[in-house]
Amino acid sequence: MEQDKYLCPYCLITFESIQDLRRHIVAEHKTEPLPVSEGQIKLTINGEDYQIRVEPEWTLYYLLHDKLGFTGTKMFCDRGACGSCTVIMDGRPILSCMTLAIECDGKHIETIEGIAKKEHPLIEEYVKYHCMQCGYCTPGFIVTAKALLDRNPKPTEEEVKEALAGNLCRCGTYPQHLKAVLVASQKLAKHGR
Amino acid sequence: MAEDFKEMPNNPLEHDKYAPKEFKVLGRRGITRIDGYKKAAGKAIYTRDIQLPGMLYAKFLTSPYPNARISKMDTSKAENLPGVRAVLRYDDPEVFGRRVVTTYGGCEDMLAGYAYFEGQQIGAVVAADTEQIAREALKLIDVEWDVRPFVLDPEGALRSGAPLARPEWADNNLNEVPPSPLSEVFRIGNVEAAFEQADKVIEFKAVRRYHGGADTELPCGIVRWEGDCLELWLHHQHPYEHKWTMHKYLGVPMNKIKVNAPYNGGMYGGWNWIAYSQIATGITAILAKRTARPVKWVFDRREDFVFGSADAMVTYFKVGANKDGTISSVKLKSFYENTGFWAETHLLENTRIPNIEAENVTARVNKGPTIALRCEQLPGCFVMAHVFNHVAAELDMDPTEVALKNDGAEGKDINYLNKFKRKHGFPLRDSLRECIEAGKKAIGWDKKWHPAGAKELPNGKMHGMGFIWSHEWDDNRGAGVAGVFIQQDGSANIVAFRTDIGVNAETTYCQVVAEELGMKFEDVFFRQQDDVYLPLMTPDGSCNLTTNSYVLRKAARKAKRRLLELATTEVHLIERNIAPAFPGMQPEDLEVKGSEIFVKSDPSKRKKIAEVVKDMDGSMNWGLEYAAIQCTTHAPVFAWAYHRQGRYGTEPGRHRLCRQAHFCEIEVDTETGKIEIKKIVNVNDVGKALSPEAVEGQQYGGTYMGIGRNLNEEYVWDPCSGVLLNGNLLEYKWATMLDIGEIETIIVETGMGYGPYGTVGIGEDVATITTYLLESAVFNAIGKWIDDGPITPDKVLKALGKA
Amino acid sequence: MKRFAHLNARTLDEAVLYLRRYGGRAKIIAGGTDVLGRMKDEIVPTYPEALINIKTIPGLDFIEEREGSLKIGALTKLEDIARHPVIKAKFSALAEAARRTASPHIREMGTIAGNICQDIRCWYYRAPNNRFPCLRKGGGRCYAIEGDNRYHSIFGASVDGGCLAVHPSDIAPALIALDAKIRTSERKIKAEHFFEVGVCKTNVLEEDEIVTEIEISQPPVGSKSAFIKFAARETIDFPVVNCAATIVGSEGTVQAARICLNAVYLKPYRVTSAEQAIIGKTISDNSVEDAGIEAVRQAKPLARNTYMVQIARTLVKRAVLACG
Repeated sequence: MEQDKYLCPYCLITFESIQDLRRHIVAEHKTEPLPVSEGQIKLTINGEDYQIRVEPEWTLYYLLHDKLGFTGTKMFCDRGACGSCTVIMDGRPILSCMTLAIECDGKHIETIEGIAKKEHPLIEEYVKYHCMQCGYCTPGFIVTAKALLDRNPKPTEEEVKEALAGNLCRCGTYPQHLKAVLVASQKLAKHGR
Repeated sequence: MAEDFKEMPNNPLEHDKYAPKEFKVLGRRGITRIDGYKKAAGKAIYTRDIQLPGMLYAKFLTSPYPNARISKMDTSKAENLPGVRAVLRYDDPEVFGRRVVTTYGGCEDMLAGYAYFEGQQIGAVVAADTEQIAREALKLIDVEWDVRPFVLDPEGALRSGAPLARPEWADNNLNEVPPSPLSEVFRIGNVEAAFEQADKVIEFKAVRRYHGGADTELPCGIVRWEGDCLELWLHHQHPYEHKWTMHKYLGVPMNKIKVNAPYNGGMYGGWNWIAYSQIATGITAILAKRTARPVKWVFDRREDFVFGSADAMVTYFKVGANKDGTISSVKLKSFYENTGFWAETHLLENTRIPNIEAENVTARVNKGPTIALRCEQLPGCFVMAHVFNHVAAELDMDPTEVALKNDGAEGKDINYLNKFKRKHGFPLRDSLRECIEAGKKAIGWDKKWHPAGAKELPNGKMHGMGFIWSHEWDDNRGAGVAGVFIQQDGSANIVAFRTDIGVNAETTYCQVVAEELGMKFEDVFFRQQDDVYLPLMTPDGSCNLTTNSYVLRKAARKAKRRLLELATTEVHLIERNIAPAFPGMQPEDLEVKGSEIFVKSDPSKRKKIAEVVKDMDGSMNWGLEYAAIQCTTHAPVFAWAYHRQGRYGTEPGRHRLCRQAHFCEIEVDTETGKIEIKKIVNVNDVGKALSPEAVEGQQYGGTYMGIGRNLNEEYVWDPCSGVLLNGNLLEYKWATMLDIGEIETIIVETGMGYGPYGTVGIGEDVATITTYLLESAVFNAIGKWIDDGPITPDKVLKALGKA
Repeated sequence: MKRFAHLNARTLDEAVLYLRRYGGRAKIIAGGTDVLGRMKDEIVPTYPEALINIKTIPGLDFIEEREGSLKIGALTKLEDIARHPVIKAKFSALAEAARRTASPHIREMGTIAGNICQDIRCWYYRAPNNRFPCLRKGGGRCYAIEGDNRYHSIFGASVDGGCLAVHPSDIAPALIALDAKIRTSERKIKAEHFFEVGVCKTNVLEEDEIVTEIEISQPPVGSKSAFIKFAARETIDFPVVNCAATIVGSEGTVQAARICLNAVYLKPYRVTSAEQAIIGKTISDNSVEDAGIEAVRQAKPLARNTYMVQIARTLVKRAVLACG
């Protein structure tokens, strides 16, 4: 993919610098340049700051998984129908495959790697209750569950079900997730994390 | 002790003679799964996650038509697109006209110039810097298609004048294509004579629509050449077999092929058996060679909708039964789409039905290949379920009674089976009765079951109870080899290569070794994905545990023998001798428990395994604690073993002894056609549960797959164009967390499996059989048969006369 | 995804300006869950040259009660609507419609305006790479007529008598049943008049017009609203049929009713005949039965979707009952 190039929104020609692009727009399209996004974004991932140039068509999944190496975020349906690529953005569990990276400027993002690093009790309970078989969808479930517990530290079983309902698991580990999340929430309450 | 390290020859028809009397590690709950943390924490790496330096992406052209041939193709625009590094065409000399064999035994064009289903990967492959560029390049390929008429339904395909679904190959009737195993009609007894005698004879038709895999991790693979050595990263259930296929395709000697098998996202058979899963790697190897770069081939989600399950079928039934519930005669004629399996197997292997005739006809249609997708027993379960459902209904009997009346094997009744059990050393248990009793109790069957259509609930919905049964299977086959290696710190490794599909196998294998070697579970470890050349049985056919536990048990017992020999043998160096850890003892005098070796007659005399296996020559240590292979005083404790578990398919005379029974309680909303699943009870006699949590995982997990298929899963093709319409996970509907109510899992352990410790496989059983569980419950609820899976609301409403 | 330009609009005027400059070649992106799916699959031959991000416009994400009405900013997430105590208490059809939309994740991303402006889900229209150049794309025909139409219109075709697609929104019928108004950068339109069918069109918005706010008047005393959805699965899915109803009653008698079905026609389908059938009556098993029958009296099901008629009838009945 062409890196560090700037795309004219009118004719899709690329330029080496934003200044060149601005000059081109004024000269060729006889108009004031639109404030084309320069693709330079700053965001926080798992508490650490990143400054990075992204292309407009990059999804947040692509940025995280392919460019930054957060491979715990998994690609699975690629159309917002399975929950595997879930990350937490400003407190909300969102689908990184249906989010543009360029729109994440200034956002706070938490991935499974951040949750594991914090030794969140969900991880331990997930292992204990065999919430994984092939394991491919598991991080997406945990991230979704973490967002739930952040917002609602003592969810009922129904609330856990509602929150995890958008995560698909082909191995069918579903019943175990409810147990693990409920126990993790009790542990959180006990240890005040 | 003396027989512990023998080869322990097993008569394939007999019960395991070498099981310990009591277990310390096996069968225990609460053992931490080895892959657990990695998978939960997002650390488990899958092939899809891997990027190598300089790696290119390869994408295949797909056919927009279900039956078409490329008459002209211009790839020049694609080749000139910046970022495109190579384009391989179907008419390239390296692939043109090449039909290659896959490990399934099937044969495919390596890169065909024609398609026999829409979406088929054919014609050209592009390797480019990014996936997106490869995708763009494919759109720049100009193809002139010779579009041909297509056929989608198997019976239609066999009518005279039907279009040829794959003119390049053969007739639509695949039975005519040698070496079809289905060309002969299967017969035992005399069905026609039995129909004459039967109290009741019923005839009906049942359909199962094409459904498929769509595994979580998208199909992909990476190929890298290092000179004449080939390195592969495979998302595949049979990674080791790729060495053989790549050797065949590319001429590389197998000893120069290294296979990496990262974790697999979703693998339930299916994909591994279809040719593309191996051919794609072969094609990519050609591109990798030409570009001198590592190349990763990738499918997107739509492109993964290329294969289906082998129970895409229509069966015509004629069944004769007697008033007492015994079934006397079953005649079947089944039409399959693209791949046929055997419809009669479960009736034959499971029941006393003495007269069976089955004709299995496979038709080529313009849909993707169908194959064993958790698993090839689907047609057998499909037929078994429908026969028993209809007989019980016709005779107005409790279906659990009908099941018990007909339990048996190969036309003989349960008494025959019991004699067989006694003769072959099995415990004498009535597996089906135990399963049924446990399940009936759990679901409250005796209180809740009622005649069909008889119970309307206060909420206006119709209440239904369903039941289904069959045997357990592990396909009684497989072979594996593995070693056990004890490191100098006293920890042990399993030395073998195998891939993971999530069944907790690596943990269970460590349990087997720990149990047999007398070690603590924590002291044994297995990184199964490492290519160490010794292939264990692949995760396949529900039989990897029954095969591999034998392998590992043998290896562990041999290693234990070596360990005790080491503990009792003096080491001779040039200038001096080193006394053994247990001087004056024989191996037979010692025992191992909890990772410690002790004297049987005086257990207070004990040493840790670590103390025994460490370097004995203290002089080299200069007071430092270290273990160095440079000058170790003794050969390492290493032992390997091989085991073959039967052969492919059921061996003659090897009757299936363990049974499974499944129950469900549903409510049918007769105004919308919605089926609400209140409760499912799975009862599986697994012989012996070596990892109870893993068994339960296959029970509730398989239920979601099976019931999901039963409720919703089907591929939908446009009848006018043959184009797949729902190739995405929004419209191809897997079961979600909210689609099934409570699931109760019950494990029965009769010890009647052929596997070690009397175990039997379970990986496929529940998903396969529950694909047909709801038919009986829906009939019980509304009094109408819907023998057409999946049972969607439109069919329910139609059966009720409301649509 | 293929390359496109991306612009962050800082004000509504700026967003409108961009839309004008691009003259139909740009698309608005808010939650992104619909537009990115369309772009990934390249379902239409014209790929947008630019996406105009309106999430960067401040002041479009709010829920408030003001001047006797409920006002919801265009960028308000569906999850926030589903959880909002006032909406749950007074506008239950909307809260329930939001709660039943798609999956939890999509509700955390998708906005109310995005939901009502979303494109249709017909599987011919949505087939990747413009596989079926159908009537809605300006092509020659509707492929669902002879094809698999199990999820298509039961009330006939639209767009020059051809397109059999249905409108997939769960929010739309709730808004119509609640008689909401939709404010745009140009005007205020009754929800009922917002949806309109045409080639590549599901609503009346001009090329340079953006939805800014949803406004719902306080429900009259004695009114109740409800929303019921039927889908293949309990979550994730678009509706097979859904229905929203508002009933205003006094002493057990129905004074006024607004009942709207969706996913049965190319735009939300208000069933005035069903409303008439219960006005002046008490809500009973008999009266709702009549409402259900009236609702589908005009139905013209296709080869594969007669079951939807039965479901529509049932949902009308149940939505009214839920308001009783």
